Amino acid sequence: MRAEAQVLKGHLDTLLLASLANGPRHGYAVREALRAGSGARFDLPTGTIYPALRRLEAAGLVKGTWSEADGRRRRTYALTPAGHRRLTRDRASWRDFAAAMSAILEPAP
Amino acid sequence: MTSPLIAGYLAGLRRRLPAGIAEEAAGGLIETYEHHLAAGAGEQAAARAAVAEFGDLEAVVSEFTRQAPGRRAARMLLATGPVVGSCWAAALALSRAWTWPVPAVARVSFGAVLLLVVLALAAAATSRHSYQRTRLTAAASPVILILDAAAVAATALAAPALTAALGTAVGASLGRIALTAWTLPRLAAR
Repeated sequence: MRAEAQVLKGHLDTLLLASLANGPRHGYAVREALRAGSGARFDLPTGTIYPALRRLEAAGLVKGTWSEADGRRRRTYALTPAGHRRLTRDRASWRDFAAAMSAILEPAP
Repeated sequence: MTSPLIAGYLAGLRRRLPAGIAEEAAGGLIETYEHHLAAGAGEQAAARAAVAEFGDLEAVVSEFTRQAPGRRAARMLLATGPVVGSCWAAALALSRAWTWPVPAVARVSFGAVLLLVVLALAAAATSRHSYQRTRLTAAASPVILILDAAAVAATALAAPALTAALGTAVGASLGRIALTAWTLPRLAAR
């Protein structure tokens, strides 16, 4: 479990960018999207998602804006053009990596 | 309306993090708490579940601190120190800078301010649990800019001749002025 958490941490940026691919989300919704999308397997502490989103924002990959809905102020994040490009690149390299791993771990009979 | 556990956590976030960041994280914790309440948990159970899901306060503050722009900028600026410093050390030694008409008080002040700036940046770069400490970079960066500009100005005014080594050192300082100026807006209000 600990090893999986480490692996997950290494891919956190890509997962966060992917969770914003279909439109802007706030931190809690990002966490819920990752949890739901992974069948509850990726259950990251919500508190680690906010600092990571801030870091991605400082790197220019996402843009955060405050909005108000139901009397509650939330910071919503959207991918920037640079974020879209990074996600496309990350997806391609993940596909290559996963294909190579599968070829070794599950060779064709 | 909220449990003492949640209220204490929110107070901790607000005490230890800048207002905007604390507000965002607080919103996330409240939402997690309300989610558990809506799912039928009692106040205390919902609060405990929300905190467990969110991560303990120390871990959350440490994570924000580790990824703070001030901490990253301090590391980057500290890394330029040996490069720019050795360019100046070599250039000033070759130009026999101790013979330049620069008042002793100016030399000592420059050295003292430089030392303070390096200490402030080192404190920001190594901070692990205090977000406030990472904000020292925002205070130190304009001073670096001034020190670099002062070194360039002193060379222009006091150097008897512009050697290649001095040119390189001036170039290194101008490069760092550009880097610092680029960093500054990213540190404002963070």
